[in-house]
Amino acid sequence: MSDTKTVQIPLGSQHIALLEPVAFTFQTQNERIIAVDADVGFVHRGVERACASTFTFDQVATVVARVCGLCAITHSTSYVLAVEELLGVSMTPRIAYLRMLMVELDRIHSHMLCLAHTAENAGFEALFMQIMHEREIVMRLQESITGNRVQFDYVTIGGVNRDIDAMVAAHVDSELSRLREKIEHLYGLFDTNITLSRRYQGIGVLSLEDAMKLNALGPIARASGLAIDVRSQTSTFPYHEVGYAIQTHTAGDIDARNRVRLAEIFNSIEMSQNIVRNIPEGEIIQKVRGKPNGQAIVRIEAPRGEIFYLVRGSGNKILDRVRIKTPTFSTIPAMIRTFEGSMYADAPAILASFDPCMSCTAK
Amino acid sequence: MKWFRQWAQKSPWILHYNAGSCNGCDIEILAALGPDYDLERFGVLNRGNPKQSDIFLVTGPVTYRSRERLVELYTQIPEPKVVVAMGACTATGGVFRGMYNVEDGIDTYIPVDVYIPGCAPSPQLLIDGMAKALEIWVQKSRDIEKPHRLFGGIRKTLHYLDRRTMAQTLAQSKEKEPQ
Repeated sequence: MSDTKTVQIPLGSQHIALLEPVAFTFQTQNERIIAVDADVGFVHRGVERACASTFTFDQVATVVARVCGLCAITHSTSYVLAVEELLGVSMTPRIAYLRMLMVELDRIHSHMLCLAHTAENAGFEALFMQIMHEREIVMRLQESITGNRVQFDYVTIGGVNRDIDAMVAAHVDSELSRLREKIEHLYGLFDTNITLSRRYQGIGVLSLEDAMKLNALGPIARASGLAIDVRSQTSTFPYHEVGYAIQTHTAGDIDARNRVRLAEIFNSIEMSQNIVRNIPEGEIIQKVRGKPNGQAIVRIEAPRGEIFYLVRGSGNKILDRVRIKTPTFSTIPAMIRTFEGSMYADAPAILASFDPCMSCTAK
Repeated sequence: MKWFRQWAQKSPWILHYNAGSCNGCDIEILAALGPDYDLERFGVLNRGNPKQSDIFLVTGPVTYRSRERLVELYTQIPEPKVVVAMGACTATGGVFRGMYNVEDGIDTYIPVDVYIPGCAPSPQLLIDGMAKALEIWVQKSRDIEKPHRLFGGIRKTLHYLDRRTMAQTLAQSKEKEPQ
């Protein structure tokens, strides 16, 4: 048997390391991956078509939230912002702060889930359990603010559905302080634990040139040293008021991605605390009249990178077109490049470190 | 062995399959398997292998491409098996009902034992549904063992199985059986 024999290994569509159906076919030589083929269309449901044919424009915010359960709030916020732009409504400071608070809390719990999943796929079950335990703090906060743990239809056209009172704000503040201590402990673990460093450092490296050339987005690009973040590029939300800082790393491996996510969790906790401490007074919902006419484009930073919405209407109740471009869709070429040249045994950990969201991608 | 049987409990392993869900239910399953809700205290472990699994936990309305895999996985699970449909869209299609690539719920393809309502169901509801699924699973296991328990062993070897004896044994067992 020659050394250069190529073996084909399928992963998926149903696999223990996968949360969602996605099929990879790895071409391997001596356990080293040389080529990858990805099939992502298992969960395609046809949301875009239904948004432009079945549902009226005021119902669509609920439907697009079901594109993805992890970043539901960013989907509905982007859609609502696009429609508000068409209807000529601008957010009051209180509405902007409440929406920003939920986007940041969502980012915290999504990043924590990714860290937990990376740990589990690298074979570290105890760390998975520990992070899932600490993630419950954020989930309970989301429940206390919006009324549901995931899929809270919090954002509506013209404002938000629930107000936050002084008691809840104080609770959010104190709970986030408690979470920060736990994340500090976790950061120390990721820094010093030898098992984690062996499993993560130098594995799955995405270089800066590849990240630029292949359009990597979000924490993956920032871990490779590419400083892109929609939060610093746009002025939709007043991020500069609440202490936003971009987090980058230079190594580009799994460890760097984990550290960028941990740093972003710290930053999001700080921002959320600033939001609940300095929340402006005002109404939580504005009167909105009319039907969307024209075309609007909105970009928002979801937990995985830039999310892009195009909404086009012609004065009817039913929109002409809703186009959704999600971060994982843009990240797939970079993910395939990262797989090439790494060992097959590291494939699940690399996959989890990219935090792919297939229901976003296939829609 | 008869005395031990009443304390003997098996651990149901689950097979989780995402048939086009939005991930909301899947992250709630992970949360329920975590230490705060601790589904593992019932012996529930998430195993990716259908041949080792007892409970089939499905999320999502069935998309066109996932329906073959859904039926395939269902047939690979050995009897007795219990199907749990988690979430509103798994039961009826939910918000996705009528979309061109969606098959409106899993019960058009496989029989369902427990429906868990909600979008997304909270981990408490999931635990409640799993407890219900466990009861059904224990009952199904008993039903499978019943003919062997009543008519197996010495009766089978000595060949005195006629219709009358069988009817009598069944009637006696119904009186004795704790329901």
